[in-house]
Amino acid sequence: MLATLGTVLLYTFLLGSLYLLVSLGFSLITGVLKIFHFGYGYLFIGAIYFTWMFMDVFHLPLGWAILAMFALQAVIAYVLYRFILVPFRFKQDEEFMFVMTVIFIALILQLGADVFYPIYKGVYLETTVIPGTSQIGPITVSNQLLFAAGVGIVMTLLFVLFFTRTKMGLAVRAISYDVYSSRILGINVEQLFMIVFIMTIIPPIVAILTVAPIWAIDSSIGQAYLGIAILISVLGGLGNLKGTIIASYIIAFCHSLVSFAIGEPRLMSLSALIVVFIVLILRPEGIIKTKSVW
Amino acid sequence: MSIIEWERDRVVLRLFGVKWDWAIEPRYWRPHIIGIGILFLTPVILYFVYPPLLATFIEGSLLPCIVLPVILMLIGTGRFNFGPQFFVGVGGFTAGLLSIHFGLGPWVTLLAAAAAGLLTGLIFSPLTLLAGGIYFALLTMLLPLIFLEITFVFEIFKGDTGLSGIPFLVNFPNFMLNQLLYAFIALALMLIYLAITDRVLRSRYALQMAAINDDEEVANGLGVNINRIKIISFIGPAVMISIVGWFYAHYFGAFSSITYLPITFMMKVFMALVIGGRGAWAIVLGGYVVTLIEVLLIRFAGDLSPILFPITMLALLLIFREEGIFGLYRKRHYRDYKPRFKITK
Repeated sequence: MLATLGTVLLYTFLLGSLYLLVSLGFSLITGVLKIFHFGYGYLFIGAIYFTWMFMDVFHLPLGWAILAMFALQAVIAYVLYRFILVPFRFKQDEEFMFVMTVIFIALILQLGADVFYPIYKGVYLETTVIPGTSQIGPITVSNQLLFAAGVGIVMTLLFVLFFTRTKMGLAVRAISYDVYSSRILGINVEQLFMIVFIMTIIPPIVAILTVAPIWAIDSSIGQAYLGIAILISVLGGLGNLKGTIIASYIIAFCHSLVSFAIGEPRLMSLSALIVVFIVLILRPEGIIKTKSVW
Repeated sequence: MSIIEWERDRVVLRLFGVKWDWAIEPRYWRPHIIGIGILFLTPVILYFVYPPLLATFIEGSLLPCIVLPVILMLIGTGRFNFGPQFFVGVGGFTAGLLSIHFGLGPWVTLLAAAAAGLLTGLIFSPLTLLAGGIYFALLTMLLPLIFLEITFVFEIFKGDTGLSGIPFLVNFPNFMLNQLLYAFIALALMLIYLAITDRVLRSRYALQMAAINDDEEVANGLGVNINRIKIISFIGPAVMISIVGWFYAHYFGAFSSITYLPITFMMKVFMALVIGGRGAWAIVLGGYVVTLIEVLLIRFAGDLSPILFPITMLALLLIFREEGIFGLYRKRHYRDYKPRFKITK
């Protein structure tokens, strides 16, 4: 009983820290830019398959391939912002067009990955930083997972510091409150939107790279991680970092409880959805009801 | 008196005491009657000319059957449902499971599928009151994905292989004749949904729905019972979409969650909406165009068709934008009601 409880709590911490990375970008996009970025899942697919493509086609070593992938993802994010988001989203009536366009881009990437790198080609990224396992009490944990959890906490902390301690962060918080007032105060809203949009690609890419050696990788990961990001963002209150942090650990607790205490990991998503529904009944705008990022 | 009279501006037909007239000038023609006529003739022509395309016609008829209820739901609730395929799954699995395990016939399972749609619609309808804007969009998008996972957890749904052995709706020895009959049934279903949508949108009830779509708080202030309208607007379309699931189950004799519940199926549904354009007939056109493009790509692009399909759709989306293909034929009039596709607000 105690061992099970320990396992549940440990994995709540590990998964929760990792889910922070998965959901941080999505939460910021919905909170600051106020858009439904349905194509968010493409970041996860792109991180794996672009890196693999650079290694496979251009024969780059892993480190350079990752750098090239980051650059490519940043370019894609810029193009999406400049040529899809700006013309579609900022004309209110065409918001649906933006959503459809980004879904298509995500779908094209997913199907492209299926066509060019099907499962039998064995796409695998050796991004292990700390190999082996550790013994925490009676529980054996992968060192890479511990590393991923650590990265999740550090990166969240950096984002929190950015939004609370820098001038640019303050400006972003201002536009998340009220765009028009921010513009009157002299904040370059469009530029900040673009910076936030490009910044948000970092956490999901780091998340997928750190777990790539220990978790299953295929072209459908985008949808799976998008689902987790959505649940966390809705539960925490869209766009609020405090809410996202709390919700990440709540969802991780649900997942750990169902997996280790009940022994049915396939019910993970269902259990999380039920929790989200219950919280929404009590608090319709999520755990933290505020317009601000922090 | 002759049966056919050729008058100055019209042709008059008198038959069994009933008078029919048809204006000669194209500007007085009734496009919807011409459209229905073409739609009824198409399966017959396909049957004799190129029968394999009957399946495409059936698929093209069914897509609008999902999109039209989604539009009703959008207007009446003021929220965008990103997971309409959830109700396709509800209807399909209800029909399939009852047929396989209890030996019920298609017409009994039709009632059961509608009842299941009603029940699940009722269960999830409070979402329209609890969650708004992007919260609603996100949660409805998750419903089919969670249902998909459930079908893999519980053996009864046979998530890996799907249900099979569901009795067919029509089962004559001649396969092509069956296809022709399915085409007419699918077409009839689509026309019924079109008529329902048209009737609802012309009613006083539609005014209240449109008021909610425009501004919920103002509608409430004007005395519209917004909770009642939103719940009805959620449940009604849920039943309509469930019936489409029932049709899929009895048409293929099989029903698989992996076919209907993932985002890829939802994309096809929404493509009919975006490619066609705004308006009920535009959605019908969109349904046929999307399925035809998919079939042509499978025929001519082979292994690359899965990736070329979304690329083609994206290109069409960016070319025609919100007016869609139907916009080439009919420009929007200033008096037309244009529902807002509100996602984040």
